[in-house]
Amino acid sequence: MSTIRKILAIRAVREFLRIFLAVFAALVLGFLITLAVSKQPIEAYKAFLLGPVSRFNRFGDWIEESITLILLGLAVSLAFRAKQFSLGQDGQMLMGALVSGSIALFVPLPFLLRVPLALLAAMLVGFIWGYIPGYLKAHLDANEIVSTLMLNTIALKIYDYFLIFWIKPPGAGYNASDFFPVEGKLPTFLPALPFIADLQKRFADHTNITIMLYLMIIAIVVAFFLMFRTPFGYELRTVGANIKFARYGGIDTKKTIILVFAVSGIFAGLAGAHLAMGIHTKLIANITVGLGFEGIVVAIMARNNPLFVPIAGLAYGYLRAGADVMERASDVSREMVLVIQAIIILLVTAERILPMVQQVITARRQAAAGAAEMTEGENNVV
Amino acid sequence: MSFDHILKAIFSALFLANILRISTPLILPALGGLVTDLAGATNIALEGIMLVAAFTGVVVSAYTKSVTAGILCGILSGVLISALLAYFYLYLKTDVFLAGIAINIMATGGTIFLLYILTGDKGNSSKLASGMAPIVHIPLIKDIPFLGTVLSGHNIFTYAAFLLTWLVAIFLYRTPLGTHLRAAGENPEAAATLGIDVKQTQLIAFLMSGFLASLGGLNLSMAYLTLFQREMTAGRGFIALAAVYLGGRKPWGTLIAAMIFGFADALSNQLASLEIPSQLVQSIPYVVTIIALVVYALQKRAQLIERTRRFQERELAKSGGGATGS
Repeated sequence: MSTIRKILAIRAVREFLRIFLAVFAALVLGFLITLAVSKQPIEAYKAFLLGPVSRFNRFGDWIEESITLILLGLAVSLAFRAKQFSLGQDGQMLMGALVSGSIALFVPLPFLLRVPLALLAAMLVGFIWGYIPGYLKAHLDANEIVSTLMLNTIALKIYDYFLIFWIKPPGAGYNASDFFPVEGKLPTFLPALPFIADLQKRFADHTNITIMLYLMIIAIVVAFFLMFRTPFGYELRTVGANIKFARYGGIDTKKTIILVFAVSGIFAGLAGAHLAMGIHTKLIANITVGLGFEGIVVAIMARNNPLFVPIAGLAYGYLRAGADVMERASDVSREMVLVIQAIIILLVTAERILPMVQQVITARRQAAAGAAEMTEGENNVV
Repeated sequence: MSFDHILKAIFSALFLANILRISTPLILPALGGLVTDLAGATNIALEGIMLVAAFTGVVVSAYTKSVTAGILCGILSGVLISALLAYFYLYLKTDVFLAGIAINIMATGGTIFLLYILTGDKGNSSKLASGMAPIVHIPLIKDIPFLGTVLSGHNIFTYAAFLLTWLVAIFLYRTPLGTHLRAAGENPEAAATLGIDVKQTQLIAFLMSGFLASLGGLNLSMAYLTLFQREMTAGRGFIALAAVYLGGRKPWGTLIAAMIFGFADALSNQLASLEIPSQLVQSIPYVVTIIALVVYALQKRAQLIERTRRFQERELAKSGGGATGS
């Protein structure tokens, strides 16, 4: 008993337990919904829960999606950790995809220069698209939720405009670019070594898992060091904990806020490059569809800690990939995962739920103890 | 079409009527945003509330064949969603932004999910024969040449928007509850020491906000269009929030701000007939929103400077008077 108490007293364990319980509760609710609406609920839910690992290409879908989600999760974590509610990842992603895709298509450089240039440009444009709402917030106290959402729509319109009027091949009946030339595509993550040639071919044929996997790992490490091992990270966390204290402590809060938005944008821009050069290998209309707020749920599940973002990203990517499989295999639509997502956010962020549960448990225990005492007392009387 | 034609079109009665029509689904949620904002909490779930109400209204009116039932159930559903948000924010201590985001996500996903179950279609509800809110032709005014076209023949929501702006203004500035609400938003600790139940007041604000945003949503699906489309609110809930700030957090200011957005939107529709790419024209309302945020911020700063200056002058005058007195 006491060891269990001791383990529960560790904050990280409690946090983990709370998130685990929230996800579990959301999944149970999801199952209840499936039960209510589906003719073959068991089949549907099985497809949902096991789908991503049932086939090789689905496994690939899961990992590809998770890379995007993890990059977005890092972007949101940095902003939310500083209590800056930037919802601009969608726009930053679109701009990143547009710029990197254009470079991949049109800049006549060899592979070794073209891909790094495209990635850097995506990060830069993400930085700029984050700098704008950051500046508006820091210097004009403009509500960042409104400004980032407006910038998302503006980015979408800019993306559509360039795609339709400049990038799409003339005369094409659909709104998409040509496929990128080989110099502009991200290569498969496994190098072409003789002893793994078979495996490499399999991954290359069935999945789009690219070297972005390694860049993602670097991004996680960078985000972690940035947040916990640099003066900027200290300032970011102080602004998030108490902005007045940060100001009195001599931190240039305006500069910090602007940088938080902009640095967060770098990661989202990279996610856009992943969409364009890794997953689709061409620019398509609505390239970010359905990804807009997904970074938020990842960051919330990871409690805005870059080290936990990959776990949350993989877990949530799994749910999303599972929902896709479920939609194809049954009569339940994939939007159910949005409902599950909302429930996870609510349950994880509701500060009072765990204390309330604890209260109920102690109250029960006390009531039971009280009842036991009562019966003891009665026995004595008798 | 030439520029001349555009100018003529803009100053036509139809264009002005169009502004009223387009502004309505912004005015109503903006009023909702105003009430919660003054009560001290930003309701970013306006978007989700609108969506749920729009969906419920269409579905109920289709199945009961009663527009009234549709509207009433739509309002009820929106108020319930808002109450859910208030419960998480006020009683479970969830961050109001995160809870609002969650509600919006749930509304987007939930409406598409249910739409698919009911119609087998994920795009819109065209398979359901849903009702349409009545259109009002104002007697006498409708026969005046120019004014009649502008003012008469709108749906009930448009008139409700103006009426409700007036009512909200009276509520906020002429009733005890309205005063309490503003006090709770201005300084919750001070309000609490005066015996105001801050939580309860904020709860009422959220319920009102839900009511107003629901009307905005119903306007979209039962008057502006007569069907439900996935994500049909298209960011109006957020533009409404921007209107609150641009309007200086006052009811009539909010109404005017919402109509400025309506104007930008109507204008972009008109300009689309010029040889300007529609994507760029369509982004006008969003750029205007950002400019509006900046204008509001500058206004606020100017007010603050003005207030400090006046305060200093008064203090100086006082101390100056004191000096001559002694």
